[in-house]
Amino acid sequence: MSTVGTHISKEKDLNTQIESFVAQIKRRQIQGSYNVALATAQLLLRAVSATRWTHIDQLITQIKVLGKRLQSAQPRELACGNIIRRVLSLIREESEDTNDSESGDGAANSPLITSMFSLLSANDEYDSTRMSQGLGDGTSRSVKRDLKPYIIEGIQELIDELRSIDESIAGMGVEMIHENETILTPTPNSRTVLKFLLRAAQKRKFTVLVVEVFPNDVEKTHEFALKLAGAGIETTVITDAMVYSIMGRVGKVILGTNAVLANGGLLASAGATMICQCANVHRTPVVVCTGLYKLSPMYPFDIESLIEVGDTGKVLEFEDGSLVDKVNVVNPLYDYVPPESVDLCITNMGGYSPSFMYRLVLDHYRQEDVTL
Amino acid sequence: MAPLETSPLRSPPDSGAADGFDIVATYRKFLDEDPDMTMPVAAIESLVVLLSQTEPTTASELMDTLAKAVTELKKGVKNSISLSAGCDMFQRFVLRNIQEYGDWEACRRHLVKNGGLFLERAKASRYKIAELGLPFIQDDDTILIHSHSRAVTELLLLAARRHIRFRVYITESRPTGEGLSSAKTLRDNGIPARVIVDGAVGWAIQKVDKVFIGAEGVAESGGIINRIGTYQIAVLAKDSNKPLYVVAESHKFVRLFPLSPFDLPNESPNASTFTTEAEDDEIQSSPLLDFTSDNLITALITDIGVLTSSGVSEELIKMWYD
Repeated sequence: MSTVGTHISKEKDLNTQIESFVAQIKRRQIQGSYNVALATAQLLLRAVSATRWTHIDQLITQIKVLGKRLQSAQPRELACGNIIRRVLSLIREESEDTNDSESGDGAANSPLITSMFSLLSANDEYDSTRMSQGLGDGTSRSVKRDLKPYIIEGIQELIDELRSIDESIAGMGVEMIHENETILTPTPNSRTVLKFLLRAAQKRKFTVLVVEVFPNDVEKTHEFALKLAGAGIETTVITDAMVYSIMGRVGKVILGTNAVLANGGLLASAGATMICQCANVHRTPVVVCTGLYKLSPMYPFDIESLIEVGDTGKVLEFEDGSLVDKVNVVNPLYDYVPPESVDLCITNMGGYSPSFMYRLVLDHYRQEDVTL
Repeated sequence: MAPLETSPLRSPPDSGAADGFDIVATYRKFLDEDPDMTMPVAAIESLVVLLSQTEPTTASELMDTLAKAVTELKKGVKNSISLSAGCDMFQRFVLRNIQEYGDWEACRRHLVKNGGLFLERAKASRYKIAELGLPFIQDDDTILIHSHSRAVTELLLLAARRHIRFRVYITESRPTGEGLSSAKTLRDNGIPARVIVDGAVGWAIQKVDKVFIGAEGVAESGGIINRIGTYQIAVLAKDSNKPLYVVAESHKFVRLFPLSPFDLPNESPNASTFTTEAEDDEIQSSPLLDFTSDNLITALITDIGVLTSSGVSEELIKMWYD
C-alpha cells in the first residue's frame, strides 16, 4: 500500500511540475529555444520516471498527450515539440529493439516493407500490428522492466547532447573562417554564433560586422559586439540599411536561427531573409549554426502563421499620438528564410546542405509523431 | 485518354505465358472500365491477372513470365512511363519476397487473391494525400491547376468539403481538352472556377497564389512527367515566385533520371518534322507529355508525406537497395 501511496504522491508532484512548467512557458518566463528545449527534456525525464505502464503504447500515448499540452502553451516555439518527438522516437526505438531481439527473426509477418510497397504488402496496418503482435502477454512484463532505465538513459543522453551543442559547433569554427576575412552576422542574439566566433578568434584574426537588428535586439547587439571586442576581434556595428552596400566586402554571412524546418528553410530573427538575399546576389556563402534540437519535422505550409509578432511600441512609440491612429504598425520577430538562400547548415553532427535536412528529420523523428 | 495505336504482340508459344492471354488488351480493359484507376495500378492489376492464369513451377519461371509480360506491355502502350513505374515496383516486390523468404508460392497466392485490395488501397492513398495536402490551401486562395489530375481534384474537393473558400483557374489543356472535365467536376461541387486557354497562363499567373499539378510519373531527380503544358506553367510560376506543388501517389515514382525533355521516349515523332504541306491531324500528333525539372518544383505531396525533391530518390533507393 505504501508503494501505491508514494506512487500517487509522485503523480501529484509530477502534475504540479507540469502545471508550473506550462505556466512559465505561457508567461514567457522560459525564453529562447535552448532554455525551452532543456526544460522540456528535464520535465520529460521526470515524467518518464514517475509514470507507470504495463504496455509501451501506454507510455507513448501519455507522452503524446503531455507533449500536445506543452506544445500548445507556446505554439510558435518549435523546440518544445522537437524534444518531445525526439523522446517519442527514442521510446519507439527502444521497444522495437527489444521486440527484434526477443522474437528471433521476427519479421515473418512483415517483409522488408518500405512505404512504397505498402500498396502490395500483406499487412493492412503495418505499424500497429507490429507493435501489438511483437509483445505477447508473457513478454510484456519483462519488456516493461527492461525498458525504463534505457529510456531514462536515452533522455539523459539527449540532455547531455543539448548541453554540449555549442562546444561541438564552435569546434568547427576554425575551418570555416579564413585569416583576415570579414564576417557579417545578422543574428546577434545567438549564443551559438558568439561561441563559434570566439573559438575561431583563438586561432585566426578576422573582422566581424554586426547588424543592429532594430528594434528588437539593439541591446543584445551591443553586448555581442562588446564580447567580441573583448576577445580581440575587430568589430563594427552597422545599421540594417547598410547591409547591401557593404555586402561586396563580406566574405561570409554566419547566422543563428530559431528553428530549421523540414524543407531546409529557416525561421530566423527578423531581417535575416533580406540579408541572405543580399548575400545571394553577391554570391556570398551563407552559413547557419544551429543545434539539431532546432530541426523541426514540420513543413512550412503557412509561413505567416509561424511568424511571432512582438511589441509594436518598439517600432512606433505610443506617445506619438498623431501617427498611432492613422498607421498600421507591425513588429514581426521572426523571418522565413527559404532553403535556396542558405548554403550550409552547421549542426552538432556536422555540416549539411539544406536540401539534406529531410534526411536528418527522417533519422531523428518518426512519421507517426509529427502530429502530436 | 488520347487515341493509342494498337500493336498486340503475341508471345511465342514456348515462352511459358498462357496462350491467348493478351496483357495489353487486359490493361486497356481495366483502364476503360474504371476511370478512377491510374495507369500503374492498371498495369499491376493486369500482371495479377496474368499470375492467376499461369502455373509457374519454379521461382525463376515466375520472374521470367513477369518479365516477358512487362516488356510486352511497355511495347504495346504509348506513353508508357507511368505504367513502367507500376511494373517495376511489382517485379521488385516479387523479387524481394523470393529472395528474402523463398516462399514465392505464398507470395503469388497473396497477390492473386488481393488484386481488388490493391485497387482499394490505391484509391485510399489519394484520400490520404488529400489530407496531407490540406494545410496548403487557405481561405481566399487563388489556385491554378492544369489538365485533369484525379489526385489534385480529390485534394480540392476535400478542401471544399472542409469549408475552405478558394477559387480555381483551370487551363483548357489542348489537344486533349481535359481541363474542361476538371472544371465540370469542381463546379458541380461548388468550387468557383474559370477555364482559361493554355496561352493565358502568363496573364493569369500574377493573380494566382499557388499552383497544383498532378503527375503521371515522378523521376528519380524529383522532376515530373506530366501532360504537355506543365513545364511552361512551372517556368512561369518560378519566375513569378509562386509555389508549385506536385500531388502524386508514391507508386508513380519511377527509376528514370532524365536530364532534358528529349531523354524521355519520344512518342510523337511527327512533331519533330517540318513539312510544306498541310496535314489533316497535325494537332493530334502533338506531343502529349513533357518533363518538368525538380528545381521548378517547391514540394511533392505524396502518401508518404510532403517530400522535397531530394526525398524522392531516398524512397526509390530504399525500394531498390539490395
